Amino acid sequence: MTVLKASLRNFLAHKGRMALSAVAVVLSVAFVCGTLVFTDTMTTTFDKLFASTSADVTVSPKKPKDDKAQQETGRPPSVPESALAGARTAEGAKSVEGMVSSEKVTVVDGDDKNIGSTTGAPTIASNWTTGDRTTMKITSGHAPRGASDVMVDADTAKKRKLKLGDELRTITATGDIEARISGIATFQVTNPGAAIVYFDTRTAQRELLGATDAYTGVAVTAGSGVTHAELKKNVTEALGAGTYTYQTKKEAADSSREQIGSFLDVLKYALLGFAGIALLVGIFLIVNTFSMLVAQRTREIGLMRAIGSSRRQVNRSVMIEALLLGVAGSVVGVGAGVGLAIGLMELMGALGMNLSTSELTLAWTTPVAGLVLGILVTLLAAYLPARRAGRVSPMAALRDAGTPADGKAGTVRGVLGLLLTAGGGAGLYAATQAEKASDGSVWLAAGVVLTLVGFVVVGPLLAGGLVRVLSVVTLRPFGRVGRLAERNALRNPRRTGATAAALMIGLALVASLSVVGSSMVASATEELDRSVGADFIVQSNNGQPVTAAAEKRARKSERLKTVTTYKMVGARVTAPDGSTAAEHLAATEPAYMDALRRETTSGDLAAAYGKDSMSVGAEYANKHGVEVGDTLEVAFSGGREAELKVAAITSDDTNVDKGAKYIHVDTARRYLPADQFPLSWMVLATADEGHEKAAYAALKKQMKPYPQYQVRDQADYKETLQEQVGQMLNMVYGLLALAIIVAVLGVVNTLALSVVERTREIGLMRAIGLSRRQLRRMIRLESVVIALFGALLGLGLGMCWGAAAQKLLALEGLGVLEIPWQTIGAVFVGSALVGLVAALAPAFRAGRMNVLNAIATE
Amino acid sequence: MTTAVTTPATGGNGARSAVAASARKLVKAYGSGETRVVALDHVDVEIARGAFTAIMGPSGSGKSTLMHCLAGLDSVTEGEVRVGGQEITRLKEKKLTRLRRDRIGFIFQAFNLLPTLDALENITLPMDIAGRKPDKAWLENVIATVNLEGRLKHRPSELSGGQQQRVAVARALAARPEIIFADEPTGNLDSRSGAEMLRFLRRSVDELGQTIVMVTHDPVAAAYSDRVLYLADGRIVDEMDSPTAEAVLDRMLRLAEDVPGADGTHGSAS
Repeated sequence: MTVLKASLRNFLAHKGRMALSAVAVVLSVAFVCGTLVFTDTMTTTFDKLFASTSADVTVSPKKPKDDKAQQETGRPPSVPESALAGARTAEGAKSVEGMVSSEKVTVVDGDDKNIGSTTGAPTIASNWTTGDRTTMKITSGHAPRGASDVMVDADTAKKRKLKLGDELRTITATGDIEARISGIATFQVTNPGAAIVYFDTRTAQRELLGATDAYTGVAVTAGSGVTHAELKKNVTEALGAGTYTYQTKKEAADSSREQIGSFLDVLKYALLGFAGIALLVGIFLIVNTFSMLVAQRTREIGLMRAIGSSRRQVNRSVMIEALLLGVAGSVVGVGAGVGLAIGLMELMGALGMNLSTSELTLAWTTPVAGLVLGILVTLLAAYLPARRAGRVSPMAALRDAGTPADGKAGTVRGVLGLLLTAGGGAGLYAATQAEKASDGSVWLAAGVVLTLVGFVVVGPLLAGGLVRVLSVVTLRPFGRVGRLAERNALRNPRRTGATAAALMIGLALVASLSVVGSSMVASATEELDRSVGADFIVQSNNGQPVTAAAEKRARKSERLKTVTTYKMVGARVTAPDGSTAAEHLAATEPAYMDALRRETTSGDLAAAYGKDSMSVGAEYANKHGVEVGDTLEVAFSGGREAELKVAAITSDDTNVDKGAKYIHVDTARRYLPADQFPLSWMVLATADEGHEKAAYAALKKQMKPYPQYQVRDQADYKETLQEQVGQMLNMVYGLLALAIIVAVLGVVNTLALSVVERTREIGLMRAIGLSRRQLRRMIRLESVVIALFGALLGLGLGMCWGAAAQKLLALEGLGVLEIPWQTIGAVFVGSALVGLVAALAPAFRAGRMNVLNAIATE
Repeated sequence: MTTAVTTPATGGNGARSAVAASARKLVKAYGSGETRVVALDHVDVEIARGAFTAIMGPSGSGKSTLMHCLAGLDSVTEGEVRVGGQEITRLKEKKLTRLRRDRIGFIFQAFNLLPTLDALENITLPMDIAGRKPDKAWLENVIATVNLEGRLKHRPSELSGGQQQRVAVARALAARPEIIFADEPTGNLDSRSGAEMLRFLRRSVDELGQTIVMVTHDPVAAAYSDRVLYLADGRIVDEMDSPTAEAVLDRMLRLAEDVPGADGTHGSAS
């Protein structure tokens, strides 16, 4: 019991010294819990939405066997009128209603501005059904009554400042629907962000499906006393098993949830991954704190041992302190996590995603996970220092306290660290030499982990050399104060190493990702320069195909020499070796060969545009032993079967259209019925010689009514690419910021504890004439050199990882290695600044120390 | 950005007076009202230049406080303190730091040296901090005086206690301060090292003309000084010139008998 009491007293007496460790635990646990609450809340929101929008039983078109091999016609698959009639005959069906709904639409306001979501949520056009009436309430105006009426959801109306009578143009595969807002309907459950427009059923059928005798699905409502499962059975009997897909309310909601669920899972695990990194960094902070507390308390521990405490008791007393820290930090962390989740929801709200706090979901597993994680990690981190405390000899009580002995880095550590680093290096090398990306990624992962651990282990040994080198450049100009700072940074290499290692982890990830990111941009740019001959590219940025009307407008634009398109056609392709697979064919025109230059390994690509001809990629050709002159059986999705002759084999030395199987668009047209003919994914155009500027302006103007498509010339395209990669990197950096913040807290922690530990030294220096400014500068410089040391390790390691990853991804077309020296340099300089900031509080505190008290401290 | 202030090593305000430091009506009190504790009670003292002064007194007599006030380490409640003629009680923190750095040397009982610096670096530290170049010849002279030639590259942890204190003495001497304050400099040493240490201090006064103020409770140490000031209950109760250990001890014992309960006035009779 006394042990517990002593631990508790120690903990409370030193709570200031534990504060930053606690903050590290709080931050990491908060991030974990925040992520869990946030994603759980999103799941709840979607579950409610799907549950409320699903009919008792839904009849929908049968899913094709292979989802991948479908072409994009811009029209959703549908069921015929007869399905509606058939469902009516089912026993227990109270009411049956045809649904028409499509996500392949873009809605623009009078200024040709897209009113859809900015967060990637879909825009949905649908008919107004009785089912909708249960989840939506018309809050102003009336439901659509004819072709000129459209109703819009209230969230979108509010966001886009739409009111009754405003004109909306809905762009569909078949044409534009121009209608005035007749009503505004408000969701009765939380709609996270989809923009929804409603039409009357006739208009929806005609414009979305191109047929007035079809629906995208049939909603069947159960009569009283009929279960959904029974109703489904009856409907299935009425319409015939296998004709359509039948789902009960629960099944429909589950399958919708499955689609969004995989996205939410990715989000969840990615966020948890970043939380894990922060937690890992926090371990270093906690290890340092406990090491320093144990060192400072050596005499006290010696006394405890002298009066009869066993090693185990000493060890246990330290672990109990860690437990208290872990519990306190984790409890606060769980609370902060809920706050963080609410903050995230607010943030998403500001970005255009609606999430209601009334659906805030706190599963019982969330606090448990947070507590267990926080406590385990703290105990784990405190274990080594606790063991060291147990080894303090009773003699320590008798020795002069002075400053705790400076830790020395050992040979074992050096050898182990070097072995790990060498092993990791070998792994990275193996990754660069891999012939298959999947094998290489295993090597890469192993290499990354081993070099990281190796650097952490060997870090204290590197501190000696690297800190000296860094000091020559950064500290020596500051004279004696600089040299004092250097010596202080060097006096306990283990502590400096652990502090820097924490920073190293975050910065290594930043560096490696920036290398991969800029290599991506450089590779794509190089590829564009090499193979893209077109001047302009028209493409949507959200995966919407180019409608026929839009394509027509592009073709009519002035000053264009050639306009060509790229369409994807789904088919099952059987090679001469008998293997069959769902494949996509690229249906293009001969002009496409100039717009996108491709090398061939054999045959002539122009010949592939001949009647009943095609080309294949080298990899496919090798795998299936296909040669020029062979014939492939091609069963077009939704169309007829054809035998196409291989006229050319394209080389795989490219990233754009890698492995594409080109056919002439006329070939596709021959084997596909008109309603199965695909829309284009992109339109490529070349300007008349010398009129590039005019052509670009004209094309942009021509496409203005279609804001969902971006018109870009090569320069803009490259810029967009760079922006996209930059945005992605910024997002990742933002998430890594948590780990870096914890690492910076670690620097603050080390400095603050060092200042306490060196109270007498500081007093002595102040007594013999060191000014406050000089003292503060000394601490700042020590901080800067520790931060730079961490940055040097991190950036070096990260660049190696990035370079290895690039070499590996060269197999996937990432052919150019580009080191973003600007970013690397900025991070390096930035870490010096971070070092300065980290030293603010400890330096201020040291400056305020009373000289006499400092001298008198035992 | 080191301001290279070139203060002459022995120059206060121009003329060189016989007094290196002085205090007049010096009061140092802690707390207020009922809990007010007076550590120094209207002390008047003059420290002779070029002399070795010892301040003695029992624990709690205020001798360390007096030293701290004279050295500009501690603030005073009332009265004035002059170092080389300059009033220092109203100096700002910055000026005080500079005063300590450029004009005063310190030797403490323990923990005198920075563990990260070797002996030579410790010796030149005050000048390094000030951004001044040490006077080479003088430095060699000092190092020779304290007998440290072979030990200059050693870290404090590689030196004996006596050697460490000699480094501290050398540090105090090297910058040629107007005055050196030594707070129980032999307190942590064995008697042989202590005696050696005191001989060094004595020599630096005799041969180098250094002014030294030493706080001690050891009569043997005090015997090395030119003049002993006795402090009791925050007042100077007696003084003795050219002391011997026996005389000091004798005086101490008498003071110890007189002092309890006394306000100190009759203690200084003879």
